[in-house]
Amino acid sequence: MVIERILIFLLALIGFTAIVGAKNIIKKVFGLNILNAAVVLLYILEGSRIGDQAPILGEGITNMVDPVPQALMLTAIVIGVCVTALALALAVRLYKATGSLEIDTISERLRSEH
Amino acid sequence: MKRTLFIIKITFTLLVLALAILPVILSSHPWPEASRDYLYEHALTDTGAVNTVSSIYLGYRAMDTLGETLVLLVSITGTMGILINLGRESEEEEAVSFSLAPEKRPTNAQRTHLLEVVSSKLGPVVLLFGFYVMLYGHISPGGGFQGGVIVASAIVFLALGTETQTKLTNTNVLGRIEALSFLVLIIAATSGVFFESGFFGNPIKSGSSLSANFIILLNIIIGLKVGTSIAVMCIAMMGGRRGH
Amino acid sequence: MTFLLLSMILALGSFALLSKDLLHSVIALSALSMLSALMFTILKAPDVAITEAAVGAGVSTIIFVWAIRHTRRRSKD
Repeated sequence: MVIERILIFLLALIGFTAIVGAKNIIKKVFGLNILNAAVVLLYILEGSRIGDQAPILGEGITNMVDPVPQALMLTAIVIGVCVTALALALAVRLYKATGSLEIDTISERLRSEH
Repeated sequence: MKRTLFIIKITFTLLVLALAILPVILSSHPWPEASRDYLYEHALTDTGAVNTVSSIYLGYRAMDTLGETLVLLVSITGTMGILINLGRESEEEEAVSFSLAPEKRPTNAQRTHLLEVVSSKLGPVVLLFGFYVMLYGHISPGGGFQGGVIVASAIVFLALGTETQTKLTNTNVLGRIEALSFLVLIIAATSGVFFESGFFGNPIKSGSSLSANFIILLNIIIGLKVGTSIAVMCIAMMGGRRGH
Repeated sequence: MTFLLLSMILALGSFALLSKDLLHSVIALSALSMLSALMFTILKAPDVAITEAAVGAGVSTIIFVWAIRHTRRRSKD
């Protein structure tokens, strides 16, 4: 129904707020993860409305769920974890270079080094 | 004053985003059923896999899988390149991060012996389960990626325990397996060109009873590649690298 | 059932962003992955459920704990 779509939309808004508004870099990466989870949930939810059996062919399967969004979301989940790993490696590198994790302090220290 | 301006900016951004996404949320257009009907008729005879999702991402759309494998390779290479040069502060920090020989472990280490014994006994069981999920991907839920990530978790278990002496936690061996499996993937992809089925086509003619073998081979190759690359990254994060 | 799971996922997501201790947020993200894997099973998508459970509660948590260990554990915001 529409209420489930609205809840997933609120989850995506929470993730986006974290990316834009959080002061800690690791909280921004949390937001990226939550946004990824919300998008995957939306696609699988929409794809499951047209049937009621899992998409594995066998005896007595007449009305299976749409398998195309599931194949797309497999790729999306793996790419999400790759982006998270690279973002966290860059965040740790920034910490070792400036000594802090808040973006205001980092930009001050980087500007005063030049 | 700065704080109010900040809150106003974030609220404005969220309103614009909500306005852009709201037509998707409140639409009542029905989900199209044409692809589900086509796949229900033809997936088994075209690719030979009973699992419809496997037949999509290894049969009809195998180019996407090749691109995803490339993204995984590039991002793991970038992460390893950044974290190998991070430097090490002291030997004491090394003691709680990776498994040491019992005589070198300090007495107030933060990890008890319980974790090492249990994880080294559970490691081979999880490895076996990972290979099962990888090999039966065409008839039950599972496949290359799922089995590969489970194999990576099993290698991390083996690296945390001290009772095991295997070459599987050596980063040189894991790196060579990953490179070799990527080479075999490229060879399997271009072999379709020579057998008149197009790029990534099935070199065995479909319709005979052997046409599911290509999907099994692709599952094994992708599973080995994904598993070993994620395991190399996790072992390098825990502190043991270059054949500890 | 999906409504209940979605509201729990929403609560865990907001807890992960409002907490001052980053390790608590990481455990909340791992629980969010497990609940969404359960929801994928209810929605008849077994391949996606296995992938989300193995990736979200396995590899992603390892990476986050490594990043927190090499930096600070408390955040000022």
